[in-house]
Amino acid sequence: MSIAEAQAAELSLERPSGLWRDAFDRFRRNPAALVGVSLVLIFTIAAIFAPQIAPHPPNQQVGPLSTNPAGPGGGHVMGLDEQGRDLFSRLLYGARLSLLVGIVSVGIGLAIGLVFGALAGYVGGWVDTVVMRVMDLMLSIPSLLVAIGLVTLLGRGMVQIMFAVGVTTVPIFARLLRGSILGQREADYVLAARSVGVPGRRLLLGHILPNSIAPVIVQATLTMATAIIEVAGLSFLGLGPGDPSLPEWGKIMADNANRLESAAHLVLFPGFAIVLTTIGINLIGDGLREAIDPKLKS
Amino acid sequence: MPLLSVRDLEVRFFTRRATIHAVNGISFDLDAGQTLGIVGESGCGKSVSSLAILGILPKAGRVTGGRVMFGDRDLLTLKDSALREIRGRDIGMVFQDPMTSLNPVLKIGRQITEVLFKHLRMDKHDAIREAIALLERVGIPNASDRLDDYPHQFSGGMRQRVMIAMAIACRPQILIADEPTTALDVTIQAQILDLLKGLVEEEGMGLILITHDLGVVAGVCERTHVMYAGRFVEAAPTDLLYHHPRHPYTLGLLRSVPRLDASQKEKLIPIPGAPPDLTVLGAGCSFAPRCPYATDRSREVTPVLEEIDDPSHLVACWNPVSDADASAVAVPVERGRS
Repeated sequence: MSIAEAQAAELSLERPSGLWRDAFDRFRRNPAALVGVSLVLIFTIAAIFAPQIAPHPPNQQVGPLSTNPAGPGGGHVMGLDEQGRDLFSRLLYGARLSLLVGIVSVGIGLAIGLVFGALAGYVGGWVDTVVMRVMDLMLSIPSLLVAIGLVTLLGRGMVQIMFAVGVTTVPIFARLLRGSILGQREADYVLAARSVGVPGRRLLLGHILPNSIAPVIVQATLTMATAIIEVAGLSFLGLGPGDPSLPEWGKIMADNANRLESAAHLVLFPGFAIVLTTIGINLIGDGLREAIDPKLKS
Repeated sequence: MPLLSVRDLEVRFFTRRATIHAVNGISFDLDAGQTLGIVGESGCGKSVSSLAILGILPKAGRVTGGRVMFGDRDLLTLKDSALREIRGRDIGMVFQDPMTSLNPVLKIGRQITEVLFKHLRMDKHDAIREAIALLERVGIPNASDRLDDYPHQFSGGMRQRVMIAMAIACRPQILIADEPTTALDVTIQAQILDLLKGLVEEEGMGLILITHDLGVVAGVCERTHVMYAGRFVEAAPTDLLYHHPRHPYTLGLLRSVPRLDASQKEKLIPIPGAPPDLTVLGAGCSFAPRCPYATDRSREVTPVLEEIDDPSHLVACWNPVSDADASAVAVPVERGRS
């Protein structure tokens, strides 16, 4: 048996593994990432099964109207709010909103950002200059300010907020993908693909993009946490949905900010919910980064 | 009529700081079933020439003169869409580093069938069968089981075989191999060279083998061109070139190759100095500053390729070396010959 054959035989004995599979294995061995997954899983289950888990509907009055609502206890694990609604139930339904907000706004940001980033990185030249200067311009204004401006322009409401927050994340994704593509564009495998006549569009979509996308995925996860905080922040500032019945976490906090002394639970519990979700998502993002970052690859 | 006929090819790189004269008027013909070696040190323009022929130069590079006739078409004047049809179908290319030349996130089956879809319009079933046949042709064991493997699951030599399979997928008439064995172990080098030689013999392809390794050329190529600073300085049938080198640079290259049959006391003789700065293209022979035989004329007038001793032997030198000067040199170990 020749050396080459021996090597091939040895290789074929190995468990079949791919790039993503290796990344998954690394991810699975990272305890912090697993904590993140558990946290996010808990909130996801809470969001999906809110109607089954919640003891009461989110807007049903189950206790007395009160300017000094009761804290945890008496059959209500997290207490009541000033309209006599069960806070725990409201937070469960709020999880739906927050996760939706995270996914939708990052989705909007990704969709626009990827197109601009791919254009800038692959086409180059003046397209690159124009796109990237616009992105720089957006980054030079604090993202919360851009979001506030957009909400003012579009009007209050959940959809508007998600869009506004999504737009502020566009430059992050565009810059990241552009840089990643620039790094891959002159790679040997791209030259090799060109040498067999692969046309430009397939070169970008089939060869360069799959190799450039990993850092963007990591960033998307991390940005999702930021988006949830930003939406909560916008709600807190009073730019959230006008509908008082929507159990958005940031909105609940804002509505009760002046009751911090008399009914701290109304601010603390939604606060914890926001913190735990974002920590969970961040841990997943960091775990993903370590799992697929080419620099850490052996 | 030759398969490929390159005339006065000139390539320059335009950067913000300077213009680099990478290739300065090279000409050669390649016939079907012929193997042509292009030898020279790093940066002499050998790889750039091949990229220019295929029209895949990096952005800063531009062909500034010459013709590349493939059949009755000049590849340099073709539109990119027409050139894309030729690349991979009529002319294939194998690159130096098999570790980076395959797309790391695509299964190798996918990378081979992509070429077949594109050029031969095969359907999926035929393409997969053909891909297996190709992998078997280039000597990959259990070919049908390996289509779904990723490049990192192959060793360097095996990856280079996959690259060759991709390059020959459409039975091209010409194969350009740019340092195909440089990144490989010596034992694997010989296997890959044998494979290339076999392909030339059986498929009747024309092969252009670009290398810095004189041992590789000795084993494979019928004819060898020696390149220096973007020009050919000597061109001859390989045996003639090795036994009767006429250009001082060729002689220098041969002297700097280690040999098994030399006594241990014998020292290698390096070529003094470094390759010239290609941003300034002065008059005279580019090798003159490093050449022990250089005269005032060498420094003032650029020599052109001219016949010497034999119609097939060309040299661009005002003071070619004689057999007596070259006597200390024997043919290097011929690694590629089996």
